[in-house]
Parts: sequence; structure tokens; C-alpha cells
Amino acid sequence: MSAAAVVEHPVLELESVNKFFGGVHAVNDMSFAIQKGELAGLIGPNGAGKTTIFNLITGVYPVSTGHIAFKGNDITNQVTHKVINSGIARTFQNLRLFKGSTVLENVMTACQQHHKYTLIEAATHMGRWGRVEKAIRSESMALLERVGLAQEANRGAGTLPYGHQRRLEIARALALEPELLLLDEPAAGMNPEEVLDLNDLIQAIHKDFHLTILVIEHHMELVMEICPHIVCMNFGALIAEGSPDDIQGHPEVLKAYLGEEVEE
Amino acid sequence: MGTLLQQVINGLSLGSVYALIAVGYSLVYSILLFSNFAHGGFLVVGGYLCYFALNTLGMNIWLAGAFSLVGAGFAAIATERLAYKPIRERTSVTLYLLIASMGMSIVIENIFVVIAGGRFRALPPVIPTNPVNVFGLATTSAFDIISLVTAVVFLGGLQIFLTKTKWGLAIRAAAYNLRIAGLMGVNVARLISLVFFVSGLLAAVGGIFLSVRYTLYPQLGMITIKAFVAAVIGGLGSLPGAVVGSLILGLSEMLTAGFLSSQLRDLVVFSLLVVTLVIRPTGLFGKNVGEKV
Amino acid sequence: MSAYTEGILILLMINGIAAMGVSLLTGFTGIFTLGHAAYLAIGSYTTAILTLDYGFHWLPAIIFGGILAMILGYLIGIPTLKLFGDYYAIASIGLAESIRLIIENWQSVTNGARGIPGIDTFTTFPVALGFFLVLAFFAFNLINGRIGRAFMACRDDHIAASLLGFHTARYRAFSLALSAFYCGIAGGLYAGFISFIQPIMFDMLKSTEMTAVVVFGGLGSMSGCLLGTTIITLVTELFRPISQYRMLIYGLVLVLVMVIRPEGIMGQNEFDMKLFRKIASYIRKPKTTSERG
Repeated sequence: MSAAAVVEHPVLELESVNKFFGGVHAVNDMSFAIQKGELAGLIGPNGAGKTTIFNLITGVYPVSTGHIAFKGNDITNQVTHKVINSGIARTFQNLRLFKGSTVLENVMTACQQHHKYTLIEAATHMGRWGRVEKAIRSESMALLERVGLAQEANRGAGTLPYGHQRRLEIARALALEPELLLLDEPAAGMNPEEVLDLNDLIQAIHKDFHLTILVIEHHMELVMEICPHIVCMNFGALIAEGSPDDIQGHPEVLKAYLGEEVEE
Repeated sequence: MGTLLQQVINGLSLGSVYALIAVGYSLVYSILLFSNFAHGGFLVVGGYLCYFALNTLGMNIWLAGAFSLVGAGFAAIATERLAYKPIRERTSVTLYLLIASMGMSIVIENIFVVIAGGRFRALPPVIPTNPVNVFGLATTSAFDIISLVTAVVFLGGLQIFLTKTKWGLAIRAAAYNLRIAGLMGVNVARLISLVFFVSGLLAAVGGIFLSVRYTLYPQLGMITIKAFVAAVIGGLGSLPGAVVGSLILGLSEMLTAGFLSSQLRDLVVFSLLVVTLVIRPTGLFGKNVGEKV
Repeated sequence: MSAYTEGILILLMINGIAAMGVSLLTGFTGIFTLGHAAYLAIGSYTTAILTLDYGFHWLPAIIFGGILAMILGYLIGIPTLKLFGDYYAIASIGLAESIRLIIENWQSVTNGARGIPGIDTFTTFPVALGFFLVLAFFAFNLINGRIGRAFMACRDDHIAASLLGFHTARYRAFSLALSAFYCGIAGGLYAGFISFIQPIMFDMLKSTEMTAVVVFGGLGSMSGCLLGTTIITLVTELFRPISQYRMLIYGLVLVLVMVIRPEGIMGQNEFDMKLFRKIASYIRKPKTTSERG
């Protein structure tokens, strides 16, 4: 097989994506691309449409017009579980842990997606069941160790302090072994010290798991620190894109954020 | 032609009784977002109170009616305070309210089984049932016309209450968003009690007419299932929807019974339910509360 | 063992099988059903008809009853499973009533409201025990593993579940099919136990009872639903002499459980070492509120 020039597709590409909720133009002709291995940031003031973009990518909402491609394949309007199974994982702005289950069980639920045994083996606990369950458990524990939650493994997920719950969600997303990880405001509600720890964690998993990561934040500190590529939105549309330096002095960005600050 | 008109009037009459029940049920749903399966119990309370008032207390129909309406209203408030409030204050899981309402439905029904016995009772014939000739085209019973008129009066009264009074406005605000209504200064506890009172009252009116139509027995509340179906068809939480759904249901039932078979009538009711839920779960006028991700 | 005791134990096991079926669907997958008596009915009637009219041996007849219930459950389940919460509960009532009405009116096959008498009493103690042990083995195993976790993910947050790659619609349908199968088997065994079945035995009250037992024992606990079944069945037997109070008490239990301890007796715990360890640690060292899991 010849190693002829293979054009590497961007991991994620949005092409003129629009989304209307009734009369509200929530996403306005958004186009951008994230290359493989990037750690990129999606910023913008509250209500800019950032989470909506995640929802469109993962098939939670249908796109009104436009296309979304993952590794070169069109995933526009594909049904959610298929999108996830093709290699995308996400965390949530408002946390969506399984509160009634333990910390470990939360991760195992995600981890099992990459392991197999048949219904009969599940009903009889014979055959591969023992071996596979053990693997799921140990892999999940390893991920918990990675995010520093191993001691909490048997606690109810809902009893964790807020910052730990956010880490759990990240561990759970990692258990899906994604190629693209979408983090939705992972630092929301954290104090500055926790944000620093989170920065380290995100950079570490970016390196160790060879992931492409897209982080939504509306606080500048996290994203400016760790993301070499930043996309900035306001009112559903792209207003700036580039490196932290490009973004920092960009007049449109300042207007978007300053405007918000004045209101506060 | 005569039979068709007859069945239509029958259908509208039955539908209007269903409407009284369905509207009360939808009213509670619009505020608290849960299905009060005990609603049938209020109907039964109304029926038995009326019977008691007519027979034992010797009241005339107007007094007995008022007595039973108020009584049912208070029964509804009691149900809410005893069973639902403690759960509502503890958790936001409406499933528990659902199950509790199922339990209350059984409790109320069986209180009457124990107190009044399970046998069928006929109400004294205070509501005339003699045949009436409608414009020379069809014959129907005075009862049907009276129940239709009464339903219109009460539903009209409800409409005026909701649109022209302060509490009515509060209820409409609460139906939109209970929490915000509370933050705007509405006394939520009192509002909920009021809503239940109205709901019980309307159910009692329906209960009285149904007891005359079908005789009174503790399980009469089961007919509320049909009112639920009507409320769902019209759209859970929508009052005009409940009325429209009820009329559709009443008409379907009567037309089926008249032209197809009496046996199939209930089957048609439930088929309509399933069809509605499959094709358009929010019903004709219901609001679709999407979940924010 | 006296015949009476044996009878109670057989009934316990039959109810237990049905309870496990409902538990899988309602407790573990979070789909609140109020219409599972329909599957009981399908299983009962299939078994009765196959053994009486077609000379089947009871074993294939019961299994066939379970399979037919499962197929019907799957088919009618598919369109309704996109509904959630109250809407599904109401749909399940409608479907169950429709099935009961069809059975009641399909005279030629089911003998209508009169029912089918004279079924061979093949459900002996060993037969019931055999089915119970096998089905319990499967149920407990399933919930402890990937299927159980998938069900619970669908229950706790179906949006999060789909965003973890679960095809939630398919898991919900599977859960429904499985629960219908269990209830179908229970129905078949029931036919061979009481020897005479009528449509009225499979009404909304029966459905409510099937769900209530699971709620009482603990939504999300397989051993809980068996505990709940045992308590309710025994209490029902005890109260048989005062059966008019039986239903009243039963309704009160439902309400009280929801008000006092909605998670049921067992909550989401199972009777296993983990639970004993939990209890032991509570006794030894009472945890502070923030640590209590």
C-alpha cells in the first residue's frame, strides 16, 4: 500500500451550520475545523450558542441547515448513540451523572461499551462474564485513579463534592475511549485553585490519551491558558478564531465580553 | 337522521359530563404536572354526598347539590394535604405522586365500600328523565339536555373565574410556571388548595350526573379513566383541550354504541387513547415541554 | 407440608415471577407501568386454551404463553415506548384495558366474560419452584452486569445514556419484552393453579397490585420486589376474612409508602454482602450526612 499523500481530514468540521428554535437563530452560519490532536477552545458569552453546537454535533438537536463531519464522515443529524459510538464523548454543563449509582458504577456503565458478552452469558454469569466484568471494573478503577477519585469508588455519585463530580464526568467520558472529547464548561462553579487543577488534568489527559479535545468555556482564564486554537462565538455566529494572542486583542471579542461586563 | 341526531345529542351530553371531570383533572395537571389518579374518588364522594343529602337529610336537589360539591371540594383539599403535599415537599419525582394518587383512589373507593356497601344505589329521581322532542327531529331525554346545560354553566363559570378574577389569574400564572408564580407573591399552598377544591367540585357535578345515569356504586370513579383519555386526547394540561377531547370521546362512544355495537364502545375509547399517544402524544392542544440538555 | 401452606407458597412463587418482571421494567428501567395484568392475561389464556382445546402438555403451553406475551408486548410496546412518565403510564392502562376488553368480547376463542373453567392443575409445588428458581437466576444475573447497568442508565438519565452510546429505545423495548415474558409465564402458571380464569381477574386493580408490590419492595431492588411480594401476598391472605378492608389497607399502604419511604423497603439495595456491610458500618460508626451514600 503506497504511502501516497493522504489528506488527513479534520477530526471535526462544521460547515455553514444553522439552527433555528422557532424564531430564534441560535446558531448562525457556523463553520470551523478542529484538526486531529488539537486542544481547542470554544468561547463566547452566555447564551452564545456554544452548548447548542455540542448538541448539534452529538445529534441531540437536528441541524436546520449545514453539515457536520467527523473524521471526514458526514454525521449531520445522525442519531445520538451512533455518533457517540463512532468515537465522540461529551460532558455536560449541568452535570448528568447517574446520581443513584456509585462513582465506580458510573464509569463502568461507560466502560462496558467497549466490552462484549452475550445475553446468555449475562443471564447465566457463565462464559466470558467473569473475565469481562473484571476487566471493566479494573479499567474503570484505573480511570478513577487517573482523575484522583479512586478512594471514592464506592460512594454514591450524588454525594461527591461538586468539583469531584465534574472530574467523575470526565472519567466517565474517557471510559468511552473517544477520539474526540467535548467538554462543556468543565470549570463551571469552580474556584480559581480548582480551575488550575482542572487545567493540569485536561492537559494531562490530552497528552496521555492522544485525544482531540474541544472545550467550551465562557471564562477566559482556563481556555487562554491551555488552548492554542480558540473559536469565539456570539449570538450564534463566529466572531473570531485563532490563537490566544489573536483572540485577546480582537475588537469583536472585547465587545462581546465587555458588553456583558457592563451589564453586570 | 333522527337516530344520528339522537346519538349526537347523547354523545354531547355524555361528553359534557366527561368534560367536567377532564377539566378538573387537567387543571391539576397544569399546575402540578402530575396525573391525579384519585380524581375519580372526588367524583364518587360527590355522588355519595348527594345521595346522602337527598335521602337521609331530605334536602332538595339544589341544596344537596351544593352540599355535595362543597364536600367533594374539601375531600380534594384533604387528599392533597394528606397524601400529596408531604411527597411534593420532599421530592420532585412525580412518579411517587402518581403512585400515591393511585393509592388514594383505592382508599377513597374502598372507604365507600366499607361505609356504604358495594351495592348499586339509585338516586331519587330529582333530575327529570322524561323524553323531550328536539325541534321535531329527534327525541332525547330531558336528562341529557339538563346535563349538557349544567356542564356548560359550570365550565362557563370556570372560564369567568379563570379570566376575570384575581385568583383565576394566579392559577393561570401558576399553570405557566408554578415556581415563578410563587416568587411573584402568589401564596402557592393556598393556590394549590384552591385548584384542588375547584377540581373536586367539578368532579362532583360530573359525579352526580353519572350516578343518575349509571346508578351509584363505589367503583363509579373508574369512569374517570375515560375522562383521563379525554384529557390526553385534548392535551394534558390544556383546559379547552380537555373539553374538546371529552366531546370527541362522548361522541365516539355514543356513535359506536348506536351504530356499531355497545360492546365495542369501550374498546373505541382506549383505541383512541393509544392512537393519540402514538401519533401525537401532546394531544390536540397540549404543550410540549422539551427538556433542556 | 399441608395443602394450604403449599398453595400459599405456590402463589408466592407465581406472584414473585410476575413481580420480577415488573421490577425489571419499572424498578430497573424506570418505565412505570400500570397495565401489566394484560401480559398475565395473555399468558393465562394462551396456556389454558392450548392445554384444553389443543391438548398441549403444560410445559410448552406455559412457555408459549410467555413467548406470545413477549411478542405482543414488544409489538405494542414499540410505538408507546417513546413516551415517558405519566404518558406511558396512561398508555399502559389503555392498552391493558383494550386487551382485557378484546378477551372479554372474543367469545369464540376465550369464552368471553364467563371465563375458562376446568384447567388442569398442573402447577404443583415442584413446577412452580422450578420456574421460579430458573427465572430468578436469570433476573438476578441480568441486573448484575452490563444489561442491568444499561437499564439503570436509561432509568436515571436517558439523555445521558444515549450520550454514552446506549440505544435507549432498544433497551427499553428489550426490558418491556422481558417483563412481558415473565408476566406471561406467571400467567400460565396461574391458570394451572387456580384452574378457572376470567377477564375480570386481570383488571386495572391487578395491574396496580403488580406495580405496587414492586414499589413497596423497592424500585431498583430485585430482592426487594420479592420481599414486597411476600409481605403483600401473606398480608392479603391474612386479611382474607375481612376482605372488604383488604383493598382499603392496600391503598393505604401505597400512600403511606410514598409519603414515608418512597424508595420502598429495600431502596436500591439487594440482600447481599454489600448491604450487610453497609448496615454493619452504620451501627459501628454513624456517618455524617455528607458521607451517607
